[in-house]
Amino acid sequence: MQRTLVQEFTKGIGSENPIFRLVLGLCPTLAVTTSLLNGLGMGLAATFVLLCSNTIVALIKGIVPPKIRIPIYIVVIATFVSITEMVMAAYTPDLHKALGIFVPLIVVNCIILGRAEAFAGKNSVIRSLIDGLGMGAGFTVALCTLAAIREILGDGKLLGYPVMGQSFEPVLLMILPAGGFFVMGLLMGALKLKDLRAAARKRAQAIAET
Amino acid sequence: MSDTKTDTAPQLIVSAAPHLKTTDSVEKIMYSVVVALLPALAGAVYYFGLQALWITGIAVVTAVATEAAIQKFRKVRITALDGSAIVTGILLAFNVPPSVPWWIPVVGTFFAIAIGKHVFGGLGLNPMNPALLGRAFLMASWPVLMTTGWSAPTGGTTSGVAAVTSATPLMAVKAAMRDLALGVNVEQSRAVVESAGTAKAYFSLFVGSVGGCIGETSALLLLVGAAYLFYKKYINYRIPLSYIGTVAILGWIFGGEGLFTGDFMFHILAGGLVLGAFFMATDMVTCPSSPLGQWIFGFGCGLLTIVIRLVGGYPEGVSYSILLMNLVTPLLDRYTKPKVFGA
Amino acid sequence: MFNIIKLGSILGIFCVAAAFALGAVYESTKGKIAYEKEKVMQEALKSVLPEAKIIVKTDGPDGKIYYRGFKTENMQEEPIGYAIVAAGKGYSSTIQTLIGLTPGGVIKGMNIMYQQETPGLGTKSVEIKYGEKDPWFQRQFMGKPGDTIAVDKDGGQIQSITGSTITSRAIASSIKQEVAWMKAKAILAPVGK
Repeated sequence: MQRTLVQEFTKGIGSENPIFRLVLGLCPTLAVTTSLLNGLGMGLAATFVLLCSNTIVALIKGIVPPKIRIPIYIVVIATFVSITEMVMAAYTPDLHKALGIFVPLIVVNCIILGRAEAFAGKNSVIRSLIDGLGMGAGFTVALCTLAAIREILGDGKLLGYPVMGQSFEPVLLMILPAGGFFVMGLLMGALKLKDLRAAARKRAQAIAET
Repeated sequence: MSDTKTDTAPQLIVSAAPHLKTTDSVEKIMYSVVVALLPALAGAVYYFGLQALWITGIAVVTAVATEAAIQKFRKVRITALDGSAIVTGILLAFNVPPSVPWWIPVVGTFFAIAIGKHVFGGLGLNPMNPALLGRAFLMASWPVLMTTGWSAPTGGTTSGVAAVTSATPLMAVKAAMRDLALGVNVEQSRAVVESAGTAKAYFSLFVGSVGGCIGETSALLLLVGAAYLFYKKYINYRIPLSYIGTVAILGWIFGGEGLFTGDFMFHILAGGLVLGAFFMATDMVTCPSSPLGQWIFGFGCGLLTIVIRLVGGYPEGVSYSILLMNLVTPLLDRYTKPKVFGA
Repeated sequence: MFNIIKLGSILGIFCVAAAFALGAVYESTKGKIAYEKEKVMQEALKSVLPEAKIIVKTDGPDGKIYYRGFKTENMQEEPIGYAIVAAGKGYSSTIQTLIGLTPGGVIKGMNIMYQQETPGLGTKSVEIKYGEKDPWFQRQFMGKPGDTIAVDKDGGQIQSITGSTITSRAIASSIKQEVAWMKAKAILAPVGK
């Protein structure tokens, strides 16, 4: 059964969220989510690359010989990553400095190649474009959630503005790498718990009806 | 703890070895541990004042409340008063400096119970000692509060070592050794190191009239409590002996300016080694159950402790070394379990 | 054989197309990137030598670079200040500090341009307290002669950051070393002149 275009978009945010459901691309996720601005910047950069690479891959899928599809996908992705990096260095130098090595490393982000291989190489251009947008949005939402929690708890700020009052002692662990794992794990656990409880309710309902 | 019950209490218990049954309940063991910790608590109140009791009380209340709240949320039987949460609370309080703000034990105990224990499924399923995990969380989150809140005990200087009052003995000696290696403040540093090796300094460390975390300073009172647990057979000699022995031998070999000149008495008595070796490394849930595994566990803890003390960034390594060895425990159990007779 | 050539040339065509795209973007952003880098350095220099109208990069002895600041655009006058980058090995990074000096070697301004120290400890070197304008640790350096700067643990007048003696010492001693070098090479006047 073919999904509608809207479903193609929303699956990236919800049921197939790259971070919380597919658990892909964790390296940048854990590393850059120390402040909301970094998380948002990383999410948008990856979304841009994903959107472009998905579109191009879907466009060229007819002329790419299957044997060399992976190197060609990588060339396409690397090109867009380099373009993104140069544009960021020129127009958002502060963000570029903060994200550092993780912008070039978008090349090896599993989400990008994963979507090219699993989706864009088999679907139409318009669907691939929507899929890229949805996955990118899901990635960005996940990054921003993590980053906002870590910035508020670990630094007492949000987007650089103090939000917790003067007497708040920041929970330093939250902006250290370990904090990334903790927040990530707890969020995934909470989502899983929600699923489990929903499933249990459904089962109980089904039993009650029979 | 032993396999008498876990939080989820399934009908059919399929658990890892050992499948030994005893008549000891969780309550009996845990309340014995609480009793064993009381002498050290009394010592802490004597040396650091009512603040020590206050911090410990807050930690215990938070531990029990957190345990009950999470068990309610998880819809399992509420066993908050089985003593295990109380032990976690006391041990956490024993691992923080006496003059920390009141919310430090609250946050630390909450983390210990919620993340250290219940995320993994509750009592008996936690891979690491919850109290130590709570301490590691506090150390990483508020390093300044956790390393500067030392207060001078009644009848002693903070460090128990000449001329330094703002640090624990381990911190003072470590800073002095580093200065000696760098060649700065040589005279003062040498005086600190030498004064730490006198009989008077050993005595201060033994009775506990030095600065340090609430429950770690008095080796004497901790040993009194440990003797009670030995008597009840809730702990055995293997882990404490191999742990303290390893620290002593390695401290003697590598702890000084030349080989075999280290001050091993100082390494045994200073810091949290006695508390860690008798009360935290021996936690039944998180240490190996086979005798050989326990020897290796103690040795590993000792090795890591001395490495952290001598070359690491922190002055004290007891808590991190036990946590790291906790993680190796399943492997130790797998490779050291005794052969089944006849197999 | 023929297949390999065919696959290779297809891959080659993609690479050439990618190269053209990258070349075009590089050309169009090159100037802006260089300008942004220069701007960061210029702003840092301005912050440490606020009174100078123009600041000129100067090649010094030993292949080192320092900066001279002039009151007016006339570079024939005596410089009113100097700046140099001091680098010291901290706890977990090499800390780079730009310092502004009077011709006599007194510290007028400083700007820690790069550090990756432990968050919450070493990073207090750049912490700005709530409601304040400048980092409290660096404020201590202002108005002090650069070649005698040292942290309190080494008998100096700079109060080191609690729990971060190594970071504090790295910053102080790297500054002391650079100022001493500038005095030794007679770029700065000896004390008392």
